[in-house]
Amino acid sequence: MGLLEKLSLWLGGGAREVSVVVLGLDNSGKSSLLRALHPPPRTPAAEEPPPPPTVGTRQDHFTAGGVSFSAVEVGGGRRHRALWERHYRAADALIYVVDAADPLRLVVSRSELQLVLAAGGARRVPLLVLANKSDRPDALHHLQVAQALSLEQVQGVPWHICAASAASGAGLAEGVAWLARELRTTHASRKGQH
Amino acid sequence: MGNTSRWLDVEVGADDTNLNTLPSNVVTVDLQNDNEFKLLIGDLGRGDEPSKLKVYKGAIQTADMVLPDVPLGVVGFYSSDTVPPPFPNIAVGFSSCVYIYRNMKLFYKYYLPTLELNTVEMDIWKQLIDTKNHELKIISSLTDNLKSMPYQYLSSQSQRFLSLNPDQQLEYLQQSPKPLVHKLAEVTCLATLRMNSVERFAVSCLIVGTEDGDVIVLDPQTFTQLHQAKLENNKVPFQMVTTGLYQVDYRIVVATREKSVCLLKREWKEGRILFNTDEHIIAIEVMTADNSVMVICTDNTMTCYSRKGKKQWSIQLEHRPVSMTSLGVMHLGAVLTGVALASGHLQLYHGKARQDTVFIRDVASVVKFGQLGQEEHVLMIVTASGNLMLKILNRTADFNSPAAGAEAARGAGRPWLIPNKSKLFLEQAKRERDSAIQMHEKFQGELARLRLTAAKALLDAYSKSDNNIGKGALEPIRLSAEVEGLGPVFRVTLTVQNTAADRAVVGLAILFHVHNAAYKVHNPYIKIPLLSPSSSLHFPTKVEEIFEGDFHPDVLFRSVSGQGGARSLVKILLLKDGNRSPALAATLQMPPTDPLMLPQPITDDTHNFALVADLYERYKILLLKAGGRSPALAATLQMPPTDPLMLPQPITDDTRNFA
Ligand SMILES: Nc1nc2c(ncn2[C@@H]2O[C@H](COP(=O)(O)OP(=O)(O)O)[C@@H](O)[C@H]2O)c(=O)[nH]1
Ligand SMILES: [Mg+2]
Repeated sequence: MGLLEKLSLWLGGGAREVSVVVLGLDNSGKSSLLRALHPPPRTPAAEEPPPPPTVGTRQDHFTAGGVSFSAVEVGGGRRHRALWERHYRAADALIYVVDAADPLRLVVSRSELQLVLAAGGARRVPLLVLANKSDRPDALHHLQVAQALSLEQVQGVPWHICAASAASGAGLAEGVAWLARELRTTHASRKGQH
Repeated sequence: MGNTSRWLDVEVGADDTNLNTLPSNVVTVDLQNDNEFKLLIGDLGRGDEPSKLKVYKGAIQTADMVLPDVPLGVVGFYSSDTVPPPFPNIAVGFSSCVYIYRNMKLFYKYYLPTLELNTVEMDIWKQLIDTKNHELKIISSLTDNLKSMPYQYLSSQSQRFLSLNPDQQLEYLQQSPKPLVHKLAEVTCLATLRMNSVERFAVSCLIVGTEDGDVIVLDPQTFTQLHQAKLENNKVPFQMVTTGLYQVDYRIVVATREKSVCLLKREWKEGRILFNTDEHIIAIEVMTADNSVMVICTDNTMTCYSRKGKKQWSIQLEHRPVSMTSLGVMHLGAVLTGVALASGHLQLYHGKARQDTVFIRDVASVVKFGQLGQEEHVLMIVTASGNLMLKILNRTADFNSPAAGAEAARGAGRPWLIPNKSKLFLEQAKRERDSAIQMHEKFQGELARLRLTAAKALLDAYSKSDNNIGKGALEPIRLSAEVEGLGPVFRVTLTVQNTAADRAVVGLAILFHVHNAAYKVHNPYIKIPLLSPSSSLHFPTKVEEIFEGDFHPDVLFRSVSGQGGARSLVKILLLKDGNRSPALAATLQMPPTDPLMLPQPITDDTHNFALVADLYERYKILLLKAGGRSPALAATLQMPPTDPLMLPQPITDDTRNFA
C-alpha cells in the first residue's frame, strides 16, 4: 500500500476529495516522489527508469480508503512556473520538493516558493517541504535547506520540512504523517464551524 | 519588481576561494553531459601556489588539477558526434603547446609548428656561443645587433637574453647554451568554432592564436592543422570570437594588442583589419544577431562597430572597464552587454542604453554569463581579491523599464536616414512636370467630389440626428422610445421624462409623422397631461407595417435582426401649445417585420402549393399560390443531420458481405 493510501486512512476516510499539489523546480524529483508515494501496481519501482521530465502538468487521480486524491505535478521549468499559482490556489495541501543536492538553485527555489505563497493570499494550506535526494552524499542537511529557503519567515501557513529520498523512500512516511495530521485538524475545525 | 530583485544572490560559503585568473581562462562546460554545467577556471596561481585547473559545481569546488605552466586559455568542445555524445574535451593553452584533457585526464599534447629562424639572428647566436667572444664588449655589440631587429620577430631565447643585464648575459653564455636552430611559436589565446552544426553536442574545431600573429584552425579529432592564416601586419591576437560554421561560413573576430580588431573569414589567408581603436583594447564581444562588435578600451569607452567595421556609437564609461560579457536572455528576447568597472559596479547595457547597475562590493576581474548547473541565466563573477560570486537572473526580472540611473538612448550624432531616390520617385517627378495642368484639374475635380460626399453625409447625419433632447426652455424634457414585437403590429412605447427638479410642464402633445404607405399608427396624436417635476410618463401605441397585396418577395428574405431601411423611419414630434414649431423631434427606426408573421390568408387549395427548397443550410419553405407572383407564406426550417445508421444502403442477399 502506498503512503498516500495510508494518508487517506489517517484522515478517517469519508468520500472527500483531497487535492495535493506537488511543486518544485525541474529535476527536483517531483515525479519520482509521486511514484514512490503511490507506486504503480505494475513493476517494482526499483526496476523502472527515471521518469521523463514533466512538461506542463501531470495529474494523478486515485482513490484510497474512500478519500479521493488528486495529486497535480506541475512542471518545474522556467516557463511552467507561472502556472504554479493557479494550481496552488485550488489545492488543499502543498508538497514543495527541493533538490538538496543542488545548492546553487536553492535561491531560485526560495524565490519561487515565496512567489507562490504570496499568490495564495490568506489561505492556510499546509506546506510540506521535502528536501529530496538526501541519499546523495553531496546533499545538504534539511535544516540547511530550511534556512536557505527562509522558511522561518513563512507566516500564517503551517509548514514542516523533512529530509526525503524518492530513491530509497526515506523520510516520506514522516512527511505524509505530518500532512495527514494537519489536514485532519483543518478539516475538523472547518467542520466545527459549520 | 524592484531593481534589487532582478538578481538572486547565491550564498557562497567558503572564504578560502583564492582565485587568480583572467577572462580567457574561465569557461562553463557540461563536463558529464548531464545538463549540469560546471565552471572551469584556469587559475594562474599566486606566490607559491602552482597553476591549477579548478572545477566548480555551483559555488563549490569539486576538483582541481595542477597545470604544468601558466594557463593562457581554457575552452571546452566536442570532438566527435557519436551517440551518446562523448564527454567534452578541455583544451588548455601553455607557452607553445595546447594540452587536451578528457575526463580530467591528459589526452593529447599539441605543439605549435616551429618557425624558421631569421638567418641574421642565427648568425648572431653562433658568434655569441663561440667562447672566444665571451667578453663584455663584444657581447654588448652583438646584443646591439640583436636589439636592432624587430623585437617581436625574435625567438623567445633572444628576447629573454635581451632582458638580462650584461653580467647575467655573460653568465648565461658561459653555461654553453645550445645553438639556436629554430624558434618555438607561443600561444596567446584559444577559441572554438563549430564544424557543421549548431546543436548542443556538435563537433567544434580548436583555434589557436599565436604570438607571431597566426590563427591556426585544428581538426577536432586528429588535431592536425586544417587552416592557417596570418593577421595583417603580424598583429598579435589576444582574444578571438567566432561565429558561424567552419564548413559553411564563419567569421573570426580577433582583438589584437596593437589597438586593432581583425576579421578572418572562410578561406582567407590573411586576417584583415576590421577597425582600429584609439587606445588599447581590453575586451571584445560579438553580438550574434548582427555580428556587430562591442569593444571596451583603456580610454574608458565602450564602442559598437558594425560587422563591416563602421563605428556605430560610443559611450564614455564612468570608470575603467575590466571585463565584458554578453547576456543573452531568451525569454526577454534581448541580448544585454555587461561591463564590469574598476569602481566595483557591473553595468548592463541594451545597445547603449543602461538597463541595470549591480554593485559587486569588490572589483571584478572576470564576469561571465551563461548556464551553470541547471540554471540557465547565471552571472559568474571572479573578483580581484579572489572570490567567486554567483547571481541568478530572477524569472520575473524585466529590463523593459529602465532602472534608476539609466538613461535612454539618444540619437545624437547619428545622421538622418534618407533613402535614395527610387526609380518610381523619378518617374513620378517626370509625370508631374509633363502634365501638371491635367493633374491639377483632376485633383480639383476629386476634391469637389469629396466635398460633396462630405456634405451629403453631414446632411444625412443632421436629418437623422439624435435630437431627442430639448433645447431652450424645454431643456429638461427628454423623449425616448422602445419598440416591441415581431411585426407587422409593433408596440411603440414612448417615454416623456421631465428632469427638471422644480418645474412642471403642461400643454405637450406627441405627433407621429410616418411614411404614409409604410406604417399605420393607431393613435397618431397623443395629448400629454401635466408632467410633474422629476417624473416620466409612458405612452404605448400600436404601429403597424402595411403590405400591399402584391408585395415584393425580397421582403421575405430581409434579415430579421437588422433594420428595415429608409422607409422604416418614423418621426415623432413633441409639440407645445402655442409654439409653431415642434419642441422636440426624434426619429425612430422600425425593425423589419418577421417574414413568418406576414398577414396572408391561407387558402385550402392544396393542389396549388409547391415546396421550394433553396440550397442554404436551412430550408426555406415558400407557400406559393397558383397565379400569384409572390409566395403566400414562407417558413424557414433547420434540418437535423441524418443519423448515419439510417443512410440508405443497398441490402444484398449475400450474407458474406455483412460484418
Ligand atoms: N539520488 C536520487 N535521485 C533522485 C531522487 N529523486 C529523483 N532523483 C532523480 O532526479 C531526476 C529528476 O527526477 P524527476 O522525478 O523527473 O524530477 P521532476 O522534474 O521534479 O519531476 C531523475 O533522474 C531521478 O532519478 C532521489 O531521492 N535520490
Ligand atoms: Mg516531473
